[in-house]
Amino acid sequence: MRPSKQKSRTFRRIFKKISGNKTTMHYKKRKPSKARCANCGAVLKGVLREIPTKMKNIPKTKKRPSRPFGGILCSKCTREKIKWLARGR
Amino acid sequence: MAGQREIRGNKMFEVGRMCIKTAGRDANKFCLIIDTLDDKFVMIDGLTRRRKCNIAHLEPLEKVIKIKKNASHDDVIKEFEKLKLVPKEKKKIMDKKEKTEKKEKKAEEKKEEEKTKRRNIFKRKEKKVAKKK
Repeated sequence: MRPSKQKSRTFRRIFKKISGNKTTMHYKKRKPSKARCANCGAVLKGVLREIPTKMKNIPKTKKRPSRPFGGILCSKCTREKIKWLARGR
Repeated sequence: MAGQREIRGNKMFEVGRMCIKTAGRDANKFCLIIDTLDDKFVMIDGLTRRRKCNIAHLEPLEKVIKIKKNASHDDVIKEFEKLKLVPKEKKKIMDKKEKTEKKEKKAEEKKEEEKTKRRNIFKRKEKKVAKKK
């Protein structure tokens, strides 16, 4: 009997070619969902989407934009937020 | 539209106007307008980098400071210091070498203290023995 991880779709399936003109199935973890803006819910650009083991070896500056609220708010929402803060001063 | 831009360029974004940048890595930082290049672009300096900037990426504030056209970076920073807008410098982050040196120093001091304590105890014992005799 196959192990349970091979029966369910929690792992993604990859076909690999092997010698003898044969193919086998490999099972890998799925990527997490895309990062979204906390205010409007738009998909964030410039934010990496990798499994945590790969994210460990990537520098912090490559994971999110370097502007304030980078990786949390989208560019439109940050602009509005900063304007709103500036007009309060 | 062209007429609106001219008005904006002349009044809202004149030399010496205090602004806040709203885009890029310098966003949410104060700056002064040093020069107007175009009806669309200005030169800025201050807590941001000294650079050319689109008007659409700036949020003008009420304050206008008397400053020369193309003033140097030091002059602009002096004006910011008068208004107390320059943030305080953060504490130095210690390197690994400095940290290890500090730890070693502390450990040596502790050892010396223990040694002096032991010496004192021995001296007291010797004194007691001498008195008994």
